[in-house]
Amino acid sequence: MIFGLLGVMNFAHGELYMLGAYAGIAVIGVTHSFWVALIAAPLLVAALGAVTEVATLRPLYRREPLYGLILTFGLALVFREGARQIWGGDMRRVLPPVTGSTPLLGMTYPNYRLFLLGASSALLLLIWLFFTRTRAGVLVRAAVQDAEMLDGLGVNVPRLFTLTFAGSAALAALAGLLLAPVFTVYPQMGVEMILLAFIVVILGGMGSMGGSVVAALVIGTAQSLFSLWMNPQRVAIAIFAIMIVVLIVRPRGFFGREGVLE
Amino acid sequence: MKRIASAVVLTTVAALAVVAAPAVSQPKVVKIGDLGSKVGVFEGYGKYQTMGIQMAVEELNAKGGVLGHRIEILSEDDETKPAPAVRKAEKLILQDDVKLLVGVVSSGATMAVMDVTKKHKTIHWNSVSCAEFMRTTKFHKYYFSNQPDSRMQANGLAKYIVDKMGKRVYIFYTDYAMGQSDGRQFKTALEKLGGEVVGVAGAPLDTKDFSPWFGAINQAAPEVLFLAFAGTDSLRLMTQLHSFGMTRKYKLAGIDCFLLQQDLPSIAEPMEGFVQLNHFSAYNPDKSMQAFNAKFRKRFGVDANIAAGAYDAVHFWAAAVEKATSFDPDRVAEAHEGMCREETHIGRQCIRKEDHQVVMDMHLYQVKGGKNIPIARIAGTDSIGEPMVGRDPVEGFSWEIKKKN
Repeated sequence: MIFGLLGVMNFAHGELYMLGAYAGIAVIGVTHSFWVALIAAPLLVAALGAVTEVATLRPLYRREPLYGLILTFGLALVFREGARQIWGGDMRRVLPPVTGSTPLLGMTYPNYRLFLLGASSALLLLIWLFFTRTRAGVLVRAAVQDAEMLDGLGVNVPRLFTLTFAGSAALAALAGLLLAPVFTVYPQMGVEMILLAFIVVILGGMGSMGGSVVAALVIGTAQSLFSLWMNPQRVAIAIFAIMIVVLIVRPRGFFGREGVLE
Repeated sequence: MKRIASAVVLTTVAALAVVAAPAVSQPKVVKIGDLGSKVGVFEGYGKYQTMGIQMAVEELNAKGGVLGHRIEILSEDDETKPAPAVRKAEKLILQDDVKLLVGVVSSGATMAVMDVTKKHKTIHWNSVSCAEFMRTTKFHKYYFSNQPDSRMQANGLAKYIVDKMGKRVYIFYTDYAMGQSDGRQFKTALEKLGGEVVGVAGAPLDTKDFSPWFGAINQAAPEVLFLAFAGTDSLRLMTQLHSFGMTRKYKLAGIDCFLLQQDLPSIAEPMEGFVQLNHFSAYNPDKSMQAFNAKFRKRFGVDANIAAGAYDAVHFWAAAVEKATSFDPDRVAEAHEGMCREETHIGRQCIRKEDHQVVMDMHLYQVKGGKNIPIARIAGTDSIGEPMVGRDPVEGFSWEIKKKN
């Protein structure tokens, strides 16, 4: 959404994901509740996202896209090193709020991963409902189509931009905290996740949310299935191979819109 | 005219004396390099290495330094990669003129740095890395190590595992120099003792999700899961093994460095029952170890750790310099050979002349209630093995699984 609406390739998105996990740890430290953190951490990161958008991105909207790219790259470094200064570089562990495991298809599967499956599906449904059934969602989609026209119709477009960026930051933060009990928390966690996220976005088609969902499913399923037949180390190669093949056949990805990258 | 000339000469001499005075009163300085991971998967080890060096240098400087020189530490980050490690090592040696290089953390990077220290004749102490090539094919005159290498660790661990834990073992290792080396040496030692390796697998360094490997481990149905990982990889792996119910299903054992003990309380439940080799642990009630830990804790406010190795390395080097009465690398290297230090945190430590490996006792610990409980002491002389300088330590080795009926 940030790319579709603001025209900015947000290289700091991984760091917002990382900050979500750290904000979650801070909230858990005070409240001793993962569930409270799951609400509070995205709100904290959303506030940071709003301030960041107003203070740094807004002045660059009328400039070349390269400015935004360099800026977000710099922001990523600032957030990452800032986290290192505040929380240190040591890896931190977040205890899963759902413990135990369930026998599933001949193997033992952690209940928390089953919870993640349900939570991410629910979240996806909520996002879809937001964009298709709410006025705010329709406004965001309209702004993606033609922000100037929307401005002419009296909509406060700069505020819409800020809220979109803040909402996107909140979603990244939510993902960071949800995945913290699985992957642990450390300052570089965002860098590693962003590469996979970019593969998903490029494969799905820049600016297409449905495309990202399909691409994520394709990559996730491929990763799991290939791991059964080959050394899991080689799966990463297979994922890149899928991306190359798809981009050769469909240069805009699965559902990429015409003109997005041109 | 003569008076004027005398006045000029006197003034010049006085001026020179003023200029030269501070230089004369300044103590002479000798620089040493601390090269290690400051970020990334092995960040914790790099941090403790720096603390160990710092504590040793403070003690030595308080006693007048080494050969009348105050010791100054220059720290650099190797980014846990061979290329930056080589670049930083060259910077420390060629630009900063360090007389001792301590580091690095990752075995791959250490082996790369060994080429630099060999080329530039610089005393090089390794106190963390453990790949088997460092005291065999990569060995050089200026290289010393007080980290038990893979062969020492395997010799120490395999016997305990076969005797007390089980004979059917699955080896899961981090797929780079250290993990491959630990896996190879452990497989060799285990099979020699009659154990059966039922499966092997390697996961890349800094893997985020280990679950794709768990299916194969379960299929092999081992009694013991031997883990050759370190740093944040270990923490993630244990968390994930636990969530998949595998920490209760299998007996677990791991290498020295598997886990920094500071991380143990936060991962106590998954680690319960884990058997790990360690050459230092703050949980060990041994008096010498407790004394060292108390000193370290007083200085830094945390328990000591792998830092003990870097601390000992600096003291060994300083003693060798004093013995050689020179910083000349050839003389200092020769002075190191056969040198012993008494009453260290692990007792007596001696540098074996042939391969510059410190012969020292190791402890096996088992995690119980979030603490490392010592369960066995392995004599250094039993685990070190024969010197193999210049010989290929993996000659004839195969990862092939030999099925037993």
